[in-house]
Amino acid sequence: MPRPLTLSLDGREFDVRILKVDREKLYGNVEIEAFDEKGNPAQLLVLAPDGKTLIDKGGTALATVDENGDSISRADLVAVDEDGQKIETVPSSFNEVNVLKKASVEDYLSQLVKSVYLIEPVENEDKKYLQDHVGSGLIYNFDFSYRGGTEYDKAFTLGNKTDAFMIVGKRAELEFVKLNQAVDLDATEEQEVSTDEINFENLT
Amino acid sequence: MPINISNAKRRDAVVAMEGLIPQRQVQYLDPHHRPVATRRLLKTDITHDLPALMKKRKTPAAVATALIKEDPEIDIEEFGMFLADTSRVYVTKKGIVHLVEEQELLYNPDGTLRDKRPRKKEPQNINTDVPLKWTGKFIKKNDAVQKFIFTNKKQLVHVNGLTFDFLFEMAKTLHKKDSLLLIRGGEKGDQPVIMNRGGKAYNAFLEGRVKGESYCLILHLSNMELKRPKEVDENAAE
Repeated sequence: MPRPLTLSLDGREFDVRILKVDREKLYGNVEIEAFDEKGNPAQLLVLAPDGKTLIDKGGTALATVDENGDSISRADLVAVDEDGQKIETVPSSFNEVNVLKKASVEDYLSQLVKSVYLIEPVENEDKKYLQDHVGSGLIYNFDFSYRGGTEYDKAFTLGNKTDAFMIVGKRAELEFVKLNQAVDLDATEEQEVSTDEINFENLT
Repeated sequence: MPINISNAKRRDAVVAMEGLIPQRQVQYLDPHHRPVATRRLLKTDITHDLPALMKKRKTPAAVATALIKEDPEIDIEEFGMFLADTSRVYVTKKGIVHLVEEQELLYNPDGTLRDKRPRKKEPQNINTDVPLKWTGKFIKKNDAVQKFIFTNKKQLVHVNGLTFDFLFEMAKTLHKKDSLLLIRGGEKGDQPVIMNRGGKAYNAFLEGRVKGESYCLILHLSNMELKRPKEVDENAAE
């Protein structure tokens, strides 16, 4: 059973459970099977740059290295802000009250999504209060960290008529560009559309 | 990355599409306050992993004894090497194969098999002779965010003065409408957007923002709706 997360809206505090939602849970998943010309099963592996070393899942790791290429333990890393000042760690959001603040739709649309959670109430009464707000189109946000760490993500709370969701991510570095900011290339008739017309089932 | 896109007047232009990175407030330094980097390295290969060890030694007990006495899971010369420019290959018992037949197994959310079919790798459709289509189908931003999850985003940027005017006008139209525009690919303008061959298909929506003489055009990509799964896994916390 997931730990409860305490939210605060308009001074009312209530506990909720958050349950991860992803594409697989909504639409299912796709697996690929491969066979050679003779019908023998083939396995997808990673070929190292030496052209001979074959690596299966779990055969690689990420390491933090210094300027000389020597690995450094995560425990020895120093987290600093943009000014080079050492920053303090943030607590897990499950250990504090998370105050929901109103956010604009543009704020939400500026977010790079990392995770999506369904918000389930611990008590029915609390669900109605939050649901009434997000179901009417209001969007809220708060700083969120699942386990605690060096920085918060931003969690947006929004919903549809029946359910409330929490969308976790980070703000994208969007830029308003002017005429003199051109970049090099690397290489109808208006109508309102019903959102029900757009198909998601077949995006496989 | 170039993208060929048309506007409301069905004029098209090739402009730049840039990936977006998250705003970061934290940097990591080593104990001497020098910058660090993250590198991928080799941990083990298929001749040293558990299936290979089991094949040689038959029983878990024999493998365990060997691990303690001989370190057969380690290649001291190779393991730990930095990996860059790796490639993905199909391998059979006889080695690397270049010609394979791929089958897609489609599973329902409950794990049951829905369909089995030959894999079809659709080509990318963002930069072809056929521009992505301005469908003229607008969705109010507030309605869209209650319906879809935008799992990926790109920003469109001009490459010269002409395309500045082209994109600025698009952004202005969308900004005024406070709406997202559905973007489609293909000759008939009825296909989802595909960034690379065999890649994920997305429903794409264009958002425009204008500030003075500058603009921001964001292509929101979505492959899932904002909705409750039919079956909720009570233990799916993180």
